[in-house]
Amino acid sequence: MMDPTQLTIAEASRAIAAGELSPVALTEAYLDRIAALDGELHSYVLVLRDQALKSAQTPARGPLHGIPIGLKDIYKTAGIRTTAGSRRYLDHVPTEDAATWARLRDAGAILLGKQETHEFAIGGPDFTLPFAPARNPWNTAHYPAGSSSGSAVAVAAGLCAGAMGSDTGGSIRGPAAYCGIVGLKPTYGRVSRRGVFPLSYTLDHCGPLTRTVEDCAIMMQALAGYDPQDPASADAPVPDYRAALTSRLEGARIGVIRHFHERDAVADFGPESAPSATYLAAFNAACHTLESLGARLVDVQLSPLVDYLDANRLIMLAEAYALHEQDFRERPQDFGHHMFARIGLGAFLSAADYVEAMRQRRELCVEFARAIDGLDAVVSANSTGPAPRIDGIPTFTTFERASYTGPYNLTGSPALSVPIGFEDGLPLAFQIAGKPFDEAGVMRVGHAFEQATDFHRQRPAIAAPLPGRA
Amino acid sequence: MTNQPISRERFAMLAEEAGLKLTAEQFEELREGYGFVQRMQRVVRRPRDRAAEPAHIFVHPRAEG
Repeated sequence: MMDPTQLTIAEASRAIAAGELSPVALTEAYLDRIAALDGELHSYVLVLRDQALKSAQTPARGPLHGIPIGLKDIYKTAGIRTTAGSRRYLDHVPTEDAATWARLRDAGAILLGKQETHEFAIGGPDFTLPFAPARNPWNTAHYPAGSSSGSAVAVAAGLCAGAMGSDTGGSIRGPAAYCGIVGLKPTYGRVSRRGVFPLSYTLDHCGPLTRTVEDCAIMMQALAGYDPQDPASADAPVPDYRAALTSRLEGARIGVIRHFHERDAVADFGPESAPSATYLAAFNAACHTLESLGARLVDVQLSPLVDYLDANRLIMLAEAYALHEQDFRERPQDFGHHMFARIGLGAFLSAADYVEAMRQRRELCVEFARAIDGLDAVVSANSTGPAPRIDGIPTFTTFERASYTGPYNLTGSPALSVPIGFEDGLPLAFQIAGKPFDEAGVMRVGHAFEQATDFHRQRPAIAAPLPGRA
Repeated sequence: MTNQPISRERFAMLAEEAGLKLTAEQFEELREGYGFVQRMQRVVRRPRDRAAEPAHIFVHPRAEG
Protein backbone atom coordinates (compact mmCIF):
# COMPACT_ATOMS: atom_id res chain seq x y z
CA MET A 1 0.00 0.00 0.00
CA MET A 2 1.07 3.59 -0.63
CA ASP A 3 2.18 5.75 2.30
CA PRO A 4 -1.02 5.80 4.40
CA THR A 5 -0.31 9.31 5.69
CA GLN A 6 -1.12 10.56 2.19
CA LEU A 7 -4.74 9.48 2.72
CA THR A 8 -7.44 11.85 3.90
CA ILE A 9 -9.44 10.91 6.98
CA ALA A 10 -12.27 9.72 4.72
CA GLU A 11 -9.90 7.54 2.67
CA ALA A 12 -8.07 6.14 5.69
CA SER A 13 -11.37 5.31 7.41
CA ARG A 14 -12.53 3.40 4.34
CA ALA A 15 -9.24 1.52 4.16
CA ILE A 16 -9.40 0.63 7.87
CA ALA A 17 -13.03 -0.48 7.59
CA ALA A 18 -12.16 -2.65 4.58
CA GLY A 19 -9.28 -4.27 6.46
CA GLU A 20 -6.74 -2.86 4.00
CA LEU A 21 -5.02 -0.67 6.60
CA SER A 22 -4.47 -1.21 10.31
CA PRO A 23 -4.64 1.65 12.83
CA VAL A 24 -1.23 0.52 14.13
CA ALA A 25 0.38 0.83 10.68
CA LEU A 26 -1.22 4.23 10.15
CA THR A 27 -0.14 5.49 13.57
CA GLU A 28 3.41 4.20 13.09
CA ALA A 29 3.61 5.94 9.73
CA TYR A 30 2.61 9.28 11.27
CA LEU A 31 5.03 8.80 14.20
CA ASP A 32 7.84 8.08 11.74
CA ARG A 33 7.08 11.29 9.88
CA ILE A 34 7.03 13.29 13.11
CA ALA A 35 10.41 11.83 14.08
CA ALA A 36 11.87 12.60 10.66
CA LEU A 37 10.43 16.05 9.99
CA ASP A 38 9.29 17.83 13.13
CA GLY A 39 12.77 18.91 14.10
CA GLU A 40 12.40 21.41 11.28
CA LEU A 41 8.71 22.22 11.67
CA HIS A 42 8.29 22.36 15.49
CA SER A 43 4.60 21.50 15.25
CA TYR A 44 4.54 19.24 18.33
CA VAL A 45 5.50 20.12 21.90
CA LEU A 46 4.86 16.57 23.12
CA VAL A 47 4.73 13.32 21.12
CA LEU A 48 2.86 10.41 22.74
CA ARG A 49 4.46 7.53 20.86
CA ASP A 50 3.83 4.67 23.29
CA GLN A 51 0.36 5.81 24.22
CA ALA A 52 -0.65 6.32 20.58
CA LEU A 53 0.55 2.86 19.56
CA LYS A 54 -1.29 1.31 22.51
CA SER A 55 -4.49 3.16 21.58
CA ALA A 56 -4.14 1.98 17.99
CA GLN A 57 -4.50 -1.61 19.18
CA THR A 58 -7.90 -1.13 20.82
CA PRO A 59 -11.05 -2.47 19.15
CA ALA A 60 -13.14 -0.24 16.90
CA ARG A 61 -15.05 2.39 18.88
CA GLY A 62 -16.63 4.71 16.33
CA PRO A 63 -16.45 6.54 13.02
CA LEU A 64 -12.95 7.90 13.68
CA HIS A 65 -11.56 4.46 14.52
CA GLY A 66 -7.80 4.44 14.10
CA ILE A 67 -7.48 8.05 12.89
CA PRO A 68 -4.38 9.76 14.37
CA ILE A 69 -4.92 13.37 15.36
CA GLY A 70 -3.25 16.14 17.36
CA LEU A 71 -4.50 18.66 19.90
CA LYS A 72 -3.44 22.27 20.33
CA ASP A 73 -1.68 22.39 23.68
CA ILE A 74 -4.47 24.36 25.32
CA TYR A 75 -6.75 21.28 25.26
CA LYS A 76 -6.56 19.58 28.63
CA THR A 77 -5.58 15.92 28.59
CA ALA A 78 -5.85 13.88 31.78
CA GLY A 79 -2.44 12.72 32.95
CA ILE A 80 -0.70 14.39 30.02
CA ARG A 81 1.15 17.70 30.30
CA THR A 82 -0.82 20.68 28.97
CA THR A 83 1.20 23.91 28.93
CA ALA A 84 -0.91 26.48 27.03
CA GLY A 85 2.46 27.37 25.51
CA SER A 86 3.46 29.17 28.69
CA ARG A 87 6.19 28.93 31.33
CA ARG A 88 3.32 29.43 33.81
CA TYR A 89 2.01 25.92 33.05
CA LEU A 90 5.21 24.22 31.98
CA ASP A 91 4.67 21.32 34.40
CA HIS A 92 0.88 21.37 34.43
CA VAL A 93 -0.71 17.92 34.23
CA PRO A 94 -4.52 18.15 34.20
CA THR A 95 -6.73 15.56 35.82
CA GLU A 96 -9.50 15.89 33.24
CA ASP A 97 -9.89 15.72 29.48
CA ALA A 98 -11.28 18.50 27.35
CA ALA A 99 -14.84 17.54 26.38
CA THR A 100 -13.88 17.68 22.71
CA TRP A 101 -10.96 15.30 23.13
CA ALA A 102 -13.23 12.91 25.04
CA ARG A 103 -15.69 12.98 22.12
CA LEU A 104 -12.96 12.35 19.54
CA ARG A 105 -11.43 9.56 21.61
CA ASP A 106 -14.82 7.94 22.09
CA ALA A 107 -15.27 8.08 18.30
CA GLY A 108 -12.01 6.13 17.92
CA ALA A 109 -9.42 8.85 17.29
CA ILE A 110 -5.82 8.28 18.39
CA LEU A 111 -3.88 11.09 20.05
CA LEU A 112 -0.41 11.51 18.52
CA GLY A 113 0.55 14.44 20.71
CA LYS A 114 0.10 18.01 21.84
CA GLN A 115 0.76 20.73 19.31
CA GLU A 116 2.52 24.07 19.51
CA THR A 117 0.36 27.09 20.33
CA HIS A 118 0.95 30.77 20.79
CA GLU A 119 1.12 31.45 24.53
CA PHE A 120 -2.43 31.31 25.91
CA ALA A 121 -3.60 31.36 22.27
CA ILE A 122 -2.46 34.96 21.68
CA GLY A 123 1.27 35.50 22.34
CA GLY A 124 3.25 34.42 19.32
CA PRO A 125 5.35 33.73 17.39
CA ASP A 126 7.56 34.22 20.43
CA PHE A 127 11.17 33.07 20.35
CA THR A 128 11.53 33.75 24.11
CA LEU A 129 9.22 30.87 25.06
CA PRO A 130 10.36 27.33 25.97
CA PHE A 131 8.89 25.89 22.75
CA ALA A 132 10.10 27.08 19.35
CA PRO A 133 7.38 28.54 17.13
CA ALA A 134 6.06 26.21 14.44
CA ARG A 135 7.21 26.85 10.88
CA ASN A 136 5.19 27.10 7.69
CA PRO A 137 5.58 23.78 5.82
CA TRP A 138 5.44 25.55 2.43
CA ASN A 139 8.54 27.56 3.35
CA THR A 140 10.00 27.18 6.81
CA ALA A 141 11.33 30.75 6.80
CA HIS A 142 7.71 31.87 6.81
CA TYR A 143 4.97 32.23 9.42
CA PRO A 144 2.18 29.65 9.64
CA ALA A 145 -0.04 32.20 11.47
CA GLY A 146 -1.48 31.43 14.85
CA SER A 147 -2.44 30.78 17.41
CA SER A 148 -3.22 27.19 16.36
CA SER A 149 0.15 27.11 14.58
CA GLY A 150 1.33 23.61 15.40
CA SER A 151 -2.04 22.07 14.57
CA ALA A 152 -2.22 23.66 11.12
CA VAL A 153 1.43 22.90 10.33
CA ALA A 154 1.07 19.25 11.35
CA VAL A 155 -2.04 18.75 9.20
CA ALA A 156 -0.48 20.45 6.17
CA ALA A 157 2.82 18.58 6.49
CA GLY A 158 1.19 15.19 6.97
CA LEU A 159 2.19 14.83 10.62
CA CYS A 160 -1.40 14.04 11.64
CA ALA A 161 -4.66 13.36 9.81
CA GLY A 162 -6.57 16.15 11.52
CA ALA A 163 -6.19 18.43 14.51
CA MET A 164 -8.04 20.63 16.94
CA GLY A 165 -7.50 24.37 17.18
CA SER A 166 -9.21 27.25 18.88
CA ASP A 167 -10.35 30.56 17.43
CA THR A 168 -10.98 33.88 19.23
CA GLY A 169 -10.21 36.24 16.36
CA GLY A 170 -9.07 33.86 13.64
CA SER A 171 -6.73 31.37 15.29
CA ILE A 172 -8.09 28.41 13.32
CA ARG A 173 -8.81 30.15 10.01
CA GLY A 174 -5.61 32.20 9.85
CA PRO A 175 -3.29 29.19 10.16
CA ALA A 176 -5.54 27.20 7.81
CA ALA A 177 -5.12 29.96 5.21
CA TYR A 178 -1.35 30.27 5.48
CA CYS A 179 -0.85 26.49 5.54
CA GLY A 180 -3.20 25.70 2.65
CA ILE A 181 -5.67 23.53 4.53
CA VAL A 182 -9.29 23.67 5.73
CA GLY A 183 -10.22 25.20 9.08
CA LEU A 184 -13.67 25.59 10.60
CA LYS A 185 -14.73 27.91 13.38
CA PRO A 186 -18.14 26.48 14.24
CA THR A 187 -21.07 28.49 15.57
CA TYR A 188 -20.58 29.81 19.13
CA GLY A 189 -22.17 27.13 21.29
CA ARG A 190 -21.93 24.29 18.75
CA VAL A 191 -18.74 22.65 20.06
CA SER A 192 -17.93 22.49 23.77
CA ARG A 193 -15.11 24.65 25.13
CA ARG A 194 -15.00 22.75 28.43
CA GLY A 195 -11.47 21.82 29.38
CA VAL A 196 -9.79 24.22 26.95
CA PHE A 197 -7.71 27.09 28.38
CA PRO A 198 -9.81 30.20 27.80
CA LEU A 199 -8.61 33.38 26.14
CA SER A 200 -11.90 35.27 25.90
CA TYR A 201 -15.06 33.66 27.21
CA THR A 202 -17.54 35.20 24.78
CA LEU A 203 -15.35 34.90 21.67
CA ASP A 204 -13.58 31.53 22.05
CA HIS A 205 -14.52 28.70 19.70
CA CYS A 206 -13.10 25.19 19.29
CA GLY A 207 -12.91 23.58 15.87
CA PRO A 208 -11.10 21.22 13.51
CA LEU A 209 -8.27 21.67 11.01
CA THR A 210 -8.21 19.15 8.16
CA ARG A 211 -6.96 18.64 4.60
CA THR A 212 -10.43 18.57 3.03
CA VAL A 213 -13.94 19.79 3.78
CA GLU A 214 -15.17 16.19 3.85
CA ASP A 215 -12.67 15.44 6.63
CA CYS A 216 -13.89 18.54 8.45
CA ALA A 217 -17.46 17.19 8.23
CA ILE A 218 -16.33 13.84 9.62
CA MET A 219 -14.62 15.46 12.61
CA MET A 220 -17.55 17.80 13.20
CA GLN A 221 -19.91 14.84 13.40
CA ALA A 222 -18.00 13.67 16.45
CA LEU A 223 -17.48 17.14 17.94
CA ALA A 224 -20.86 18.83 17.66
CA GLY A 225 -23.41 18.53 20.42
CA TYR A 226 -24.74 19.91 23.66
CA ASP A 227 -22.54 19.96 26.76
CA PRO A 228 -24.45 21.00 29.88
CA GLN A 229 -21.13 21.76 31.61
CA ASP A 230 -20.17 24.45 29.09
CA PRO A 231 -22.29 27.49 30.00
CA ALA A 232 -22.30 28.66 26.37
CA SER A 233 -23.19 25.29 24.85
CA ALA A 234 -26.34 25.26 22.75
CA ASP A 235 -28.86 22.43 22.74
CA ALA A 236 -29.34 22.50 18.96
CA PRO A 237 -29.96 19.51 16.65
CA VAL A 238 -26.88 18.14 14.88
CA PRO A 239 -27.47 17.20 11.23
CA ASP A 240 -25.64 14.59 9.14
CA TYR A 241 -22.78 16.77 7.92
CA ARG A 242 -21.42 14.45 5.25
CA ALA A 243 -24.88 13.91 3.81
CA ALA A 244 -25.15 17.68 3.27
CA LEU A 245 -22.09 17.80 0.99
CA THR A 246 -22.83 18.21 -2.71
CA SER A 247 -20.75 18.92 -5.78
CA ARG A 248 -23.11 21.54 -7.24
CA LEU A 249 -24.70 24.71 -5.84
CA GLU A 250 -27.77 25.19 -8.06
CA GLY A 251 -30.29 27.44 -6.36
CA ALA A 252 -27.86 28.69 -3.73
CA ARG A 253 -27.75 32.44 -3.05
CA ILE A 254 -24.34 33.48 -1.77
CA GLY A 255 -23.45 36.94 -0.52
CA VAL A 256 -20.06 38.46 -1.26
CA ILE A 257 -18.54 40.94 1.21
CA ARG A 258 -16.05 42.84 -0.93
CA HIS A 259 -15.76 46.17 0.84
CA PHE A 260 -13.91 44.69 3.82
CA HIS A 261 -10.82 43.99 1.71
CA GLU A 262 -11.37 46.25 -1.30
CA ARG A 263 -12.07 49.49 0.62
CA ASP A 264 -12.03 49.25 4.42
CA ALA A 265 -8.65 47.60 4.91
CA VAL A 266 -6.64 50.48 3.51
CA ALA A 267 -9.09 53.20 4.62
CA ASP A 268 -8.99 52.15 8.27
CA PHE A 269 -5.65 50.36 8.68
CA GLY A 270 -3.40 51.98 6.08
CA PRO A 271 -1.60 50.90 2.91
CA GLU A 272 0.23 48.01 4.60
CA SER A 273 -3.13 46.24 4.81
CA ALA A 274 -3.74 46.46 1.06
CA PRO A 275 -4.58 43.09 -0.56
CA SER A 276 -2.05 41.83 -3.08
CA ALA A 277 -3.03 41.90 -6.76
CA THR A 278 -2.68 38.13 -6.83
CA TYR A 279 -5.05 37.81 -3.89
CA LEU A 280 -7.66 40.04 -5.50
CA ALA A 281 -7.50 37.93 -8.67
CA ALA A 282 -7.73 34.69 -6.68
CA PHE A 283 -10.73 35.94 -4.69
CA ASN A 284 -12.54 37.02 -7.86
CA ALA A 285 -11.73 33.71 -9.56
CA ALA A 286 -13.10 31.85 -6.54
CA CYS A 287 -16.34 33.82 -6.79
CA HIS A 288 -16.59 32.95 -10.49
CA THR A 289 -16.10 29.29 -9.59
CA LEU A 290 -19.06 29.48 -7.20
CA GLU A 291 -21.14 30.98 -10.02
CA SER A 292 -20.04 28.24 -12.39
CA LEU A 293 -21.35 25.72 -9.85
CA GLY A 294 -24.81 27.26 -10.10
CA ALA A 295 -24.76 29.74 -7.22
CA ARG A 296 -26.16 33.23 -7.60
CA LEU A 297 -23.88 35.86 -6.05
CA VAL A 298 -25.23 38.94 -4.26
CA ASP A 299 -23.17 41.91 -3.08
CA VAL A 300 -23.39 42.41 0.70
CA GLN A 301 -22.78 45.76 2.43
CA LEU A 302 -22.05 45.89 6.15
CA SER A 303 -20.59 48.46 8.54
CA PRO A 304 -16.87 49.13 8.06
CA LEU A 305 -14.48 46.31 8.92
CA VAL A 306 -12.92 48.33 11.76
CA ASP A 307 -16.28 48.47 13.58
CA TYR A 308 -16.30 44.68 13.76
CA LEU A 309 -12.59 44.25 14.42
CA ASP A 310 -12.12 46.79 17.16
CA ALA A 311 -15.22 45.62 19.03
CA ASN A 312 -13.87 42.07 18.79
CA ARG A 313 -10.38 43.11 19.89
CA LEU A 314 -11.55 45.26 22.79
CA ILE A 315 -13.79 42.50 24.14
CA MET A 316 -10.95 39.99 23.78
CA LEU A 317 -8.51 42.30 25.59
CA ALA A 318 -10.89 43.00 28.46
CA GLU A 319 -11.82 39.36 29.00
CA ALA A 320 -8.27 38.06 28.60
CA TYR A 321 -6.79 40.64 30.93
CA ALA A 322 -9.38 39.90 33.60
CA LEU A 323 -8.43 36.24 33.29
CA HIS A 324 -4.69 36.89 33.73
CA GLU A 325 -4.72 40.06 35.86
CA GLN A 326 -3.36 38.45 39.00
CA ASP A 327 -0.39 36.97 37.13
CA PHE A 328 0.27 40.28 35.38
CA ARG A 329 0.60 41.89 38.79
CA GLU A 330 2.35 39.14 40.72
CA ARG A 331 4.47 37.13 38.25
CA PRO A 332 4.84 39.13 35.04
CA GLN A 333 8.22 37.52 34.39
CA ASP A 334 6.43 34.25 33.61
CA PHE A 335 4.89 35.65 30.43
CA GLY A 336 6.56 35.71 27.06
CA HIS A 337 7.18 39.05 25.40
CA HIS A 338 4.22 39.03 22.97
CA MET A 339 1.69 37.77 25.49
CA PHE A 340 2.68 40.43 28.00
CA ALA A 341 2.61 43.29 25.50
CA ARG A 342 -0.63 42.29 23.77
CA ILE A 343 -2.80 41.35 26.73
CA GLY A 344 -1.16 43.93 29.00
CA LEU A 345 -3.05 46.57 27.02
CA GLY A 346 -6.21 45.24 28.61
CA ALA A 347 -5.11 46.85 31.89
CA PHE A 348 -6.02 50.23 30.46
CA LEU A 349 -9.65 49.55 29.54
CA SER A 350 -12.60 50.55 31.67
CA ALA A 351 -15.79 48.67 32.49
CA ALA A 352 -17.66 51.19 30.35
CA ASP A 353 -15.36 50.45 27.37
CA TYR A 354 -16.26 46.78 27.64
CA VAL A 355 -19.99 47.40 27.90
CA GLU A 356 -19.88 49.79 24.95
CA ALA A 357 -18.07 47.15 22.88
CA MET A 358 -20.74 44.65 23.85
CA ARG A 359 -23.48 47.08 22.85
CA GLN A 360 -21.76 47.54 19.50
CA ARG A 361 -21.50 43.78 19.23
CA ARG A 362 -25.27 43.39 19.46
CA GLU A 363 -25.81 46.08 16.81
CA LEU A 364 -23.40 44.35 14.43
CA CYS A 365 -24.87 40.90 15.11
CA VAL A 366 -28.31 42.24 14.18
CA GLU A 367 -26.87 43.90 11.07
CA PHE A 368 -25.20 40.66 9.98
CA ALA A 369 -28.31 38.57 10.68
CA ARG A 370 -30.34 40.90 8.45
CA ALA A 371 -27.69 40.85 5.73
CA ILE A 372 -27.54 37.07 5.57
CA ASP A 373 -31.32 36.61 5.76
CA GLY A 374 -32.41 35.04 2.48
CA LEU A 375 -28.88 33.91 1.64
CA ASP A 376 -27.39 30.43 1.99
CA ALA A 377 -23.92 31.70 2.90
CA VAL A 378 -21.57 34.64 2.48
CA VAL A 379 -17.97 34.66 1.29
CA SER A 380 -15.31 37.14 2.33
CA ALA A 381 -11.55 37.45 2.32
CA ASN A 382 -9.17 35.66 4.62
CA SER A 383 -5.54 36.84 4.84
CA THR A 384 -5.12 38.91 1.68
CA GLY A 385 -1.59 37.91 0.80
CA PRO A 386 0.89 35.11 1.36
CA ALA A 387 2.42 34.28 4.73
CA PRO A 388 5.14 36.75 5.74
CA ARG A 389 8.53 35.71 7.08
CA ILE A 390 8.35 34.42 10.64
CA ASP A 391 11.15 36.68 11.86
CA GLY A 392 9.31 39.87 10.94
CA ILE A 393 6.01 39.67 12.81
CA PRO A 394 5.37 42.91 14.75
CA THR A 395 4.43 42.70 18.44
CA PHE A 396 1.14 44.50 17.85
CA THR A 397 0.24 42.86 14.54
CA THR A 398 -2.97 41.70 16.25
CA PHE A 399 -4.14 45.32 16.46
CA GLU A 400 -2.45 47.25 13.69
CA ARG A 401 -3.38 45.32 10.55
CA ALA A 402 -6.67 44.52 8.90
CA SER A 403 -7.88 41.01 9.62
CA TYR A 404 -10.95 39.38 8.13
CA THR A 405 -11.68 36.59 10.55
CA GLY A 406 -12.62 38.54 13.70
CA PRO A 407 -16.06 39.66 12.48
CA TYR A 408 -17.35 36.09 12.67
CA ASN A 409 -16.08 35.66 16.23
CA LEU A 410 -18.05 38.76 17.10
CA THR A 411 -21.21 37.44 15.45
CA GLY A 412 -20.56 33.84 16.53
CA SER A 413 -21.26 32.68 12.98
CA PRO A 414 -19.84 29.46 11.52
CA ALA A 415 -16.92 30.31 9.20
CA LEU A 416 -14.79 28.02 7.07
CA SER A 417 -11.41 28.78 5.50
CA VAL A 418 -10.77 27.08 2.16
CA PRO A 419 -7.69 27.38 -0.13
CA ILE A 420 -8.22 29.45 -3.30
CA GLY A 421 -4.74 29.75 -4.83
CA PHE A 422 -1.07 30.50 -4.34
CA GLU A 423 1.26 33.48 -4.38
CA ASP A 424 5.05 33.05 -4.38
CA GLY A 425 4.54 29.36 -3.63
CA LEU A 426 2.47 30.12 -0.50
CA PRO A 427 -1.27 29.40 -0.10
CA LEU A 428 -4.17 31.86 -0.24
CA ALA A 429 -7.70 31.32 1.10
CA PHE A 430 -11.15 32.80 1.50
CA GLN A 431 -13.88 32.33 4.08
CA ILE A 432 -17.38 30.93 3.75
CA ALA A 433 -19.67 31.98 6.61
CA GLY A 434 -23.25 31.10 7.39
CA LYS A 435 -26.23 31.41 9.68
CA PRO A 436 -25.99 30.20 13.28
CA PHE A 437 -25.73 26.40 13.48
CA ASP A 438 -25.60 26.02 9.69
CA GLU A 439 -22.15 24.46 9.53
CA ALA A 440 -23.69 22.02 7.07
CA GLY A 441 -24.53 24.83 4.62
CA VAL A 442 -21.08 26.36 4.98
CA MET A 443 -19.34 23.03 4.39
CA ARG A 444 -21.64 22.30 1.43
CA VAL A 445 -20.35 25.44 -0.31
CA GLY A 446 -16.76 24.65 0.64
CA HIS A 447 -16.97 21.07 -0.55
CA ALA A 448 -18.50 22.02 -3.89
CA PHE A 449 -15.75 24.61 -4.36
CA GLU A 450 -13.11 21.99 -3.56
CA GLN A 451 -14.56 19.54 -6.08
CA ALA A 452 -14.28 22.19 -8.80
CA THR A 453 -10.69 23.16 -7.96
CA ASP A 454 -7.45 21.41 -7.06
CA PHE A 455 -5.87 23.82 -4.57
CA HIS A 456 -6.54 21.47 -1.65
CA ARG A 457 -4.79 18.63 -3.49
CA GLN A 458 -1.55 20.58 -3.74
CA ARG A 459 0.71 19.75 -0.81
CA PRO A 460 4.00 21.26 0.35
CA ALA A 461 7.13 19.36 -0.70
CA ILE A 462 7.76 18.36 2.91
CA ALA A 463 4.42 16.47 2.88
CA ALA A 464 5.76 14.00 0.31
CA PRO A 465 6.17 10.37 1.44
CA LEU A 466 9.36 9.61 3.35
CA PRO A 467 12.03 7.77 1.33
CA GLY A 468 11.05 4.13 0.98
CA ARG A 469 7.41 4.86 1.86
CA ALA A 470 6.06 6.03 -1.51
CA MET B 1 -2.48 55.38 14.53
CA THR B 2 -3.47 59.00 14.52
CA ASN B 3 -3.46 59.59 18.28
CA GLN B 4 -0.94 61.79 20.04
CA PRO B 5 1.25 59.41 22.07
CA ILE B 6 0.27 59.45 25.72
CA SER B 7 2.84 61.23 27.89
CA ARG B 8 5.19 59.17 30.02
CA GLU B 9 3.86 60.81 33.16
CA ARG B 10 0.22 60.08 32.33
CA PHE B 11 0.99 56.52 31.27
CA ALA B 12 3.02 55.89 34.43
CA MET B 13 -0.04 56.90 36.42
CA LEU B 14 -2.29 54.53 34.49
CA ALA B 15 0.16 51.65 34.93
CA GLU B 16 0.41 52.32 38.65
CA GLU B 17 -3.38 52.40 38.98
CA ALA B 18 -3.50 49.05 37.17
CA GLY B 19 -1.01 47.60 39.64
CA LEU B 20 1.58 46.84 36.96
CA LYS B 21 5.28 46.90 37.73
CA LEU B 22 6.90 47.40 34.33
CA THR B 23 10.48 47.24 33.19
CA ALA B 24 11.65 50.19 31.13
CA GLU B 25 11.24 48.15 27.95
CA GLN B 26 7.74 46.98 28.88
CA PHE B 27 6.76 50.51 29.82
CA GLU B 28 7.76 51.92 26.44
CA GLU B 29 6.20 49.06 24.50
CA LEU B 30 2.87 49.29 26.28
CA ARG B 31 2.92 53.07 25.99
CA GLU B 32 3.35 52.65 22.24
CA GLY B 33 0.55 50.06 22.14
CA TYR B 34 -1.77 52.33 24.12
CA GLY B 35 -2.56 54.09 20.86
CA PHE B 36 -4.42 50.95 19.75
CA VAL B 37 -6.47 51.04 22.95
CA GLN B 38 -7.41 54.64 22.18
CA ARG B 39 -8.49 53.67 18.65
CA MET B 40 -10.62 50.81 19.96
CA GLN B 41 -12.25 53.08 22.53
CA ARG B 42 -13.00 55.63 19.82
CA VAL B 43 -14.55 52.99 17.56
CA VAL B 44 -16.90 51.51 20.17
CA ARG B 45 -17.84 54.69 22.04
CA ARG B 46 -20.52 56.34 19.95
CA PRO B 47 -23.97 57.81 20.59
CA ARG B 48 -26.53 55.09 21.25
CA ASP B 49 -30.08 54.88 22.42
CA ARG B 50 -30.05 54.21 26.15
CA ALA B 51 -32.16 51.13 25.49
CA ALA B 52 -29.47 49.58 23.27
CA GLU B 53 -28.52 46.46 25.21
CA PRO B 54 -25.16 44.69 25.16
CA ALA B 55 -24.73 41.40 23.33
CA HIS B 56 -24.48 39.31 26.46
CA ILE B 57 -27.31 39.02 28.94
CA PHE B 58 -27.68 37.21 32.23
CA VAL B 59 -28.77 33.61 31.81
CA HIS B 60 -29.87 31.49 34.74
CA PRO B 61 -27.42 28.59 34.97
CA ARG B 62 -28.71 25.04 34.91
CA ALA B 63 -28.08 22.87 37.92
CA GLU B 64 -25.58 20.69 36.02
CA GLY B 65 -23.62 23.69 34.76
